Amino acid sequence: MTWRRNATEVACTVVLVCAFALQGQTLQGQTIERAEALWRAHDYEGANNAFKALVAAQPKNANYRVRWGQLFYERFNAEEAGKLYQEALGIDPKNAGALLGEAQIMADGYDAKASDLATKALASDPKLYQAHELMARTALEDDNTKKAESEADAALAIQSDALEATAIRASIDLLADKESPWVAKIGTRGKGYQTIAHFYMINRRYEDSIQYLRKAIAATPDLWSAHSELGIDLMRLGREGEARKELQLAYDNHFRDAATSNSLTLMDSYSKFETFETPTTALRLNKKEADVLRPYFEEEMKRAMATYEKKYKYVLKQPVQVEVYPDHEDFAVRTMGLPGLGALGVTFDNYIAMDSPSGRPPGSFHWASTLWHEMSHVYVIKMTNDRVPRWFTEGLSVHEETAASPDWGDRLSPEILAAIRDKKLLPIAEIDRGFVHPSYPSQVIVSYYQAGKICDYIGERWGEGKLLDMIHEFAKNRPTVDVIREQLGVEPEAFDKDFLAMIDKETSKTVAGFADWTKQVREISQLAKDGKNDEVIAKGRAAEGLYPDYVEAGNVYSFIADACLKKDDKVCAMDELGRYSKVGGRDPETIKKYAKLLQDAGKLKEAEAALERLNFIFPVDAELHERLGNLLMQTGDAKAAVGEFQALIAMHPIDLAGSHYNLARAYQAAGQKDQAREEAVSALEAAPNFRPAQKLLLEVSGDEK
Amino acid sequence: MGCRVKILPVLLCVAAASPVFASTYIVTVAGLGGEPDYEQRFAALATDMDKILRADGQSDRIVETLKGPEATRVKLEATLNKIAGQAKAQDAFVLMMIGHGTFDGTEYKFNLPGPDISAPELAVLLNRIPAGRQLVVDMTSASGGAVSALKKDNRTIITATKSGTEKNATVFARFWVEALRDPAADVDKNEIVSALEAFQYAEKKTGQFYSEAKRLATEHAQVDDPQHASAFPLFKFGSASAAVADPAKRVLVAKKDDIENKIDALKYQKPLMAPDDYKRQLTALLIELAKAQEAIDK
Repeated sequence: MTWRRNATEVACTVVLVCAFALQGQTLQGQTIERAEALWRAHDYEGANNAFKALVAAQPKNANYRVRWGQLFYERFNAEEAGKLYQEALGIDPKNAGALLGEAQIMADGYDAKASDLATKALASDPKLYQAHELMARTALEDDNTKKAESEADAALAIQSDALEATAIRASIDLLADKESPWVAKIGTRGKGYQTIAHFYMINRRYEDSIQYLRKAIAATPDLWSAHSELGIDLMRLGREGEARKELQLAYDNHFRDAATSNSLTLMDSYSKFETFETPTTALRLNKKEADVLRPYFEEEMKRAMATYEKKYKYVLKQPVQVEVYPDHEDFAVRTMGLPGLGALGVTFDNYIAMDSPSGRPPGSFHWASTLWHEMSHVYVIKMTNDRVPRWFTEGLSVHEETAASPDWGDRLSPEILAAIRDKKLLPIAEIDRGFVHPSYPSQVIVSYYQAGKICDYIGERWGEGKLLDMIHEFAKNRPTVDVIREQLGVEPEAFDKDFLAMIDKETSKTVAGFADWTKQVREISQLAKDGKNDEVIAKGRAAEGLYPDYVEAGNVYSFIADACLKKDDKVCAMDELGRYSKVGGRDPETIKKYAKLLQDAGKLKEAEAALERLNFIFPVDAELHERLGNLLMQTGDAKAAVGEFQALIAMHPIDLAGSHYNLARAYQAAGQKDQAREEAVSALEAAPNFRPAQKLLLEVSGDEK
Repeated sequence: MGCRVKILPVLLCVAAASPVFASTYIVTVAGLGGEPDYEQRFAALATDMDKILRADGQSDRIVETLKGPEATRVKLEATLNKIAGQAKAQDAFVLMMIGHGTFDGTEYKFNLPGPDISAPELAVLLNRIPAGRQLVVDMTSASGGAVSALKKDNRTIITATKSGTEKNATVFARFWVEALRDPAADVDKNEIVSALEAFQYAEKKTGQFYSEAKRLATEHAQVDDPQHASAFPLFKFGSASAAVADPAKRVLVAKKDDIENKIDALKYQKPLMAPDDYKRQLTALLIELAKAQEAIDK
């Protein structure tokens, strides 16, 4: 159940004023003991009313607000809880409970400020062992076992049976694949096993997480949060029947947080999806776009698997399942149980969930790059039995994107430039922190970039084979610093120094010139508006040299190409857009413009290649398939043209007859007469007097003619 | 076009093969933009439409375009009154409105420089035009609010919005103009874009526009009478519409018409037939039709 103070207040106003005197008496009679008793009895509405009355009666009592906030927090309303903690801190700025409550909310959002707040809480109340527990948890999430251990021990020194601290000590051992005496100390307290499951989960060890959630439930059968988490973990691994059962059980027992409700809703929507299976793959697509996307996705899955099998010298033992969501929020729920996820794709064991190209604005998402990224995770996770540190698997995946094709992957963004300028890249020993507990808004993006660059650097300096050696070392559950020392033969600090020198060499011109580049782009934009084409071209080229990776909205390549076209200099425009395309520019309209210029110049194969790039970016575009299909027909690749025209028809184009006719032409050219005839009939069924289709039908109808 | 319409297929086939209108009067009005961007956009669309309509130099098409400061209520009234004096019952009339519209819950108004014109006022002017077939394409915001006032027998109404409450600026006009330029809009490949074909093209493209931009669609186009819209030839792409004049080929044309009717009849039976049987019969008829067309073309 999720409710708000305001909603309750509104509901209260419905009560007739004539009842006020009696109610007032009752409310004034509320005690903290009664509020707590109602809470324990799961009468949350009653407890809420009791706290409300208490706070009204004693507005200066910060502790009542803290407890009321804790009630809200437990009932899935962190926002309202946060407000109450703030109000409590307004009354008593050093209130330890309020500070801890705030810290808890921050920790749930993996906010790095959680530890600071917990430290403040401890300063107010040195016996507040829960603050040590929270800091231990945060430290372990950062993979900082030393700190996690000392904070857990500090909590245990205050409260010898502190459950969370005990569970964290157990988790430290278990994550290191060691037997742990701490597990037995948890005893029948299910919540402790749930904590262990949490750490397995964030380390992507879902099977282990499931095992401990089952233990938690066995110990405390009415621990509904564990039922919900078990359901979500099972859903991640595609075990939908049991997942639904657990989620429903939690829901029916009033554990209705957003993750539980959203996951159940998502599972209801699975009827809209269709799964296509091969011996090594399963592809789940929304029915409305399955016909268009299936060939492209299946081909890329096949290609990626062949590449990785060779590169990693490993064959997957189970099929890989890829799920493609046209609604980004469905993907987010599939991943986290919650909407609002910033990621494009996520891997759970051998299950990949990702956005569909139709789920994002055209040009903003390279789905093939994301697919290859996630497929790399599947291999690395399997090869290391989930023991790989986050930075390495993410870095290797980023590395694989551009290895697949240099124009794939992400470009150097302004946020990354700022991080390099401000020296915010993390030492390799601490890089995981940037993924789990970012301390500034773009740190996750920066960490992806840094991890990818580290893998590029290792590949270049020590050879690609070294990356494979590192995978094998991580499989032994070795820490990053040891692997760096032993595999690369350098101390982590020396590695950082050399790596940063390489980054500096690669980016110093852009980093130093970024502010100037920004000014120049503004100037170029104005020059373009004023129609000063020669100046746009000259100044544009200079700006382009300063920051060649910038291909997003307002990029210099487009300004220059437009200026060239205004001067009727198609060669100049074509060259410019060629550079844009090569560096990874992805705007479909710009790429189509480039392809048209190439086509008009008779460079058909190059035009074809330009449009083929778009199939990896935004294939849900009828015009693209029609143009590419026609180009392929011109260059004599009828077989590929068949694929493009099939995709066109799958998009239910306006010109259905023309599309079937195009497919018939392609089949005819590919020597597939029967299919050509089928398609000609389909074209003529839509438009019986369509003369080119009539002619083709007669041509392929042989004897019947 | 007409051959795929279930009611009166024969009559509509004739309409497609040889339009019955003596002349078609087409008035395009780009209303008040209110701000430079819209002013420019509306005027550009009207200019494009004007160019398209005049490009093929068809003498049976009389084109009037009002845009910018010219597009006043007085000028619009004068233009419509002039046509009222010239058009005949066998003529066709098309009014295309681009710009902003408003709806106060009761009355729709088309925003023009100076005084606006309301839907009932417009209806009075249109009712004076004797052209037997009329098409009003109101592509403004809130245009759905104009339908009830403009509704009349033999007048097809297309609006960019489904009601007067869809008040945001529309993009439908952009794709309506594109429909007359893009041969893909001619879905039945008879080289004529009907009002329904243009509507379906623009409606689909408008939907794609919102879906690709990940924006909630704030306009939902509607056509009040799809059957009549399908039989309203709006624009010809080629010369296919010329009737076969050679008397020697009349037998072949009659045969072709007969096959077309059989195809139509077969299509109506499709849901009741086994798929293989339907396909076999359809293929045979289509081959027969293709051969008949080949003989006519010789």
